[in-house]
Amino acid sequence: MKKILFIAMLTSLIIACSDSKDIDDIKPEIDTNVSFAFPKQCTTLYFGEDFNFSALFTDNIELGSYSISLHNNFDHHSHSTEVTECELGEIKTPVNPFTFIQDFEIPDNLTEYEANQSITIPTGDENGLFDEGDYHFFISLTDKQGWSTQKGLSIKIMHRE
Amino acid sequence: MNRFYMLFILLGMYFVSAYSQESYIFSGKVTDHKNVTLPGASVYIPAIDNGVFTDSNGNYHLHIAKKGTYVVQVSFLGYDTYTDTIMITANTKHNIKLTALAMSLQEVVVKDNYAASRKKEESLNVEVVNNKFIQQNLGGSLSQSLERLPGVSMIGIGSGQSKPVIRGLGFNRVLVVENNIKHEGQQWGSDHGLEIDQFAANRIEVIKGPASLMYGSDAIGGVIDVKQSEIPTPNTVGGQVNLIGKSNNNLVGSSVNVFIRKNKLFADLRGTVMDYGDYKVPTDSISIYSYKAGLHDHLMRNTAGKEQDVHFSFGLIQPDFQTRFFVSNVYTKSGFFANTHGLEPQRVNTEVHDKSSRDILFPYQSVNHSKLINKTIKTWDGIRLETDIGVQRNLRREKSKYIAHGDMPANFPETLNMDPDMEREFDKYIYSANVKTSYSKIERLKLFSGINAEYQNNSIGGRGFIIPDYNLWSMGLHLVSKYTLSDRSKLQAGIRFDRGAINTKEYYDWFPSTVEQNGVETEEYLQRADKINKVYENISWSLGYVYNHQALSLKSNIGKSFRMPIAKELAANGVNYHRFSYEVGKSDLDAEVSYQLDMGAEYNKNHFAIGITPFVNFFPNYIYLNPSDKHDSQYGLGNQIFYYTQSSVFRYGGEMHFHWEVIPQLQLGIMGEYVYSQQLSGEKEGFTLPFSPPPSALFSVKYQPIHFNLAHNAYLSMDYRMTAAQNQIVPPENKTDGYQVLTLNAGADFQLGNQQINVSVSVHNVLNTKYYNHTSYYRLINVPESGRNAVLTISIPFSAHMH
Repeated sequence: MKKILFIAMLTSLIIACSDSKDIDDIKPEIDTNVSFAFPKQCTTLYFGEDFNFSALFTDNIELGSYSISLHNNFDHHSHSTEVTECELGEIKTPVNPFTFIQDFEIPDNLTEYEANQSITIPTGDENGLFDEGDYHFFISLTDKQGWSTQKGLSIKIMHRE
Repeated sequence: MNRFYMLFILLGMYFVSAYSQESYIFSGKVTDHKNVTLPGASVYIPAIDNGVFTDSNGNYHLHIAKKGTYVVQVSFLGYDTYTDTIMITANTKHNIKLTALAMSLQEVVVKDNYAASRKKEESLNVEVVNNKFIQQNLGGSLSQSLERLPGVSMIGIGSGQSKPVIRGLGFNRVLVVENNIKHEGQQWGSDHGLEIDQFAANRIEVIKGPASLMYGSDAIGGVIDVKQSEIPTPNTVGGQVNLIGKSNNNLVGSSVNVFIRKNKLFADLRGTVMDYGDYKVPTDSISIYSYKAGLHDHLMRNTAGKEQDVHFSFGLIQPDFQTRFFVSNVYTKSGFFANTHGLEPQRVNTEVHDKSSRDILFPYQSVNHSKLINKTIKTWDGIRLETDIGVQRNLRREKSKYIAHGDMPANFPETLNMDPDMEREFDKYIYSANVKTSYSKIERLKLFSGINAEYQNNSIGGRGFIIPDYNLWSMGLHLVSKYTLSDRSKLQAGIRFDRGAINTKEYYDWFPSTVEQNGVETEEYLQRADKINKVYENISWSLGYVYNHQALSLKSNIGKSFRMPIAKELAANGVNYHRFSYEVGKSDLDAEVSYQLDMGAEYNKNHFAIGITPFVNFFPNYIYLNPSDKHDSQYGLGNQIFYYTQSSVFRYGGEMHFHWEVIPQLQLGIMGEYVYSQQLSGEKEGFTLPFSPPPSALFSVKYQPIHFNLAHNAYLSMDYRMTAAQNQIVPPENKTDGYQVLTLNAGADFQLGNQQINVSVSVHNVLNTKYYNHTSYYRLINVPESGRNAVLTISIPFSAHMH
């Protein structure tokens, strides 16, 4: 009896599955080449100042969220995903490097979004001034279905003279 | 042949046959008409339901309790079954010559009576291979060597590390058994290999389909049952030297085995060493996201490795009692591709990394797996009792240069009592015990019952958290009956009860994080894992039917299997350094349950055989690692978060094979496999499952045997694999194009004086085709499969009689 039930169940499943709907298999895109995009590969940012992160995000169905990470690349461990190479400073040991990791929401039901996020880089913390030099600017973008795209930029963060 | 099968299936599930009570020894040698010995031939006496397989020298040895006249049947696939009536009144020596049949089929799987009978006996679909198959299809690891079997694939990382996948299911959904004890490592890790020495594997049985009934939790997708060397014949000493060389990663290796048996006592020792360099791929650079990492001389930077294994086994054998101990240690160390490990594409110091293709630098993994197993069998009249006891320790380390992420200090504090380069460490102790009995005194009915129990204790170390410390208890009870309905058909039914408890411990970061609450910033050691105590119970069952008549064989099986969630699924909370993701467990997962219907039909006559083995499968609550649209901002670099969740999944598929012997020496074969999976609920409704193998077909041509003066059993063969594109994907996978790869094999047994030397040569990917394997872990970062690879294996067996 159980066997018959099971076969019936499976048959109904096969029928149920035969009208398989289209799934989304397209990743979202990060465009940092649009005119308003900032920072770009090899940009220099400054401690103690605000900057406006801007990029164009697109997806075929619905965008999800994005995150930004800024971390030191004094040992040249990380690599940008860009074609152009930037001139890197000397390899050095971090003393008090600046780190920034934050995730940001994207309003619902958008297939195109111009990110425009003001980010403040403090001059230092209780341990003193932050180290200047090579940093890595890492952007990760998802869509609602869980597809993701990453982009890594080489930048410098310096203290104003 | 068919009469042989009908009688032979009575031999039941175990290859070590029950010995009768005393006292006359019936022994001899089985050869073919040219006096070439036939190892693995079956010698069977129906009257007393007793039989053995001949050893590697073609010798057999049977105990006969009573004087009398017996019918003896000797069979070997590809030869006419030999039947004779023998009077036994004293110890009797009887040598047997078999005549080769015009046709011999099934070369692609294996020429082995055990395999053939096992396949006909079992209502689930089974493949059985022996060490010869491994030698002729030697891959970088056991799972790779088994990939040729239809329905079996692997998830690999690099050239020497991989895990088996059966019909698209892998990791904790495939149970690996070695010497009757469940092999326990860190099965969940897709970047790890299976800690099994493929040279020590004498016979491997692959059960394609849920086999929780006999094996318990984790056998939900299938079982790979590895048996080590069989018991040598009395008063012999011998062994084998294996030499291995591979051109692609410049592997050199050797495995040496020696055995000795006096009358009742025996011992067997094996050592295996292998050392390999970085493997070569047919490309100049690897695109990780859009970053192109250049390769030096086509070498996958830092994928070199080594393996050192030792096995010792000893025991006592008596007609109604045998006990055997297995002691082993398997050690491997291998590098990870240096440009991707971590949280983002890595720049490496190419001067240091590309200096040598054989050194293993950071990042790398090392595993040491030790085992102590005892297997004891006692038989009485019609009753058989078997116990297996095992202790295992799996010590896994993943090391990489310290790179701070999240709130980790930029420089590793020297005050901490930790190795800054220890990324992760897992130290697991496993204690297992099985008791199995079989009862065959009732006519037509054979009963099997058993109890398994296991305790695991896993402790963690290292700077990068992924799973907490935990311990796990599990036990199961099963009862299986096999009922012979008629000469042609058998019914098999079984039921099993399982209970398991998993207790995970809490975990706090080793570094403080800044936490802001109501505008006040404080430094806190964040908690990554809560204490979890969970108990799971399940009843599994299975019902099967087998029909064998002349050339036709049919089978059907329906069953329920289950799997307990593992610590990672319940309590993960950390970064996956291989695919830049952040993985989060779910503490209230249910035990995974699977219902599956398996069928099998084979027609095997004279010059051809054709078979098909379809299945349909339903999981109401498949445990799935779901890539979400969220990002983590606490621990990594703002990585995408993957959450464990459950969804219902429907799968179907199957395998087919066709073999045709055009002329006695020329065999053609086609084997195909197909799996379709779809999630029916949850956030990824409509999507497939991760790592779904694409449809694939293998066309083979084999010419054998060729006999020269010095060479016997020479063969030439060609495998042409055609794999379709995989466009059924789920985040974060990429669609993978189809491909065709060509493999050439040749080999022979050379007779030099009294010494036999077996040589096999294979060239994989003959055309150096650049292709991607959808189920390779490195596929996610666009690493093609290895280029042309010539593999040479030489085995030199030796043995002598002692007086």
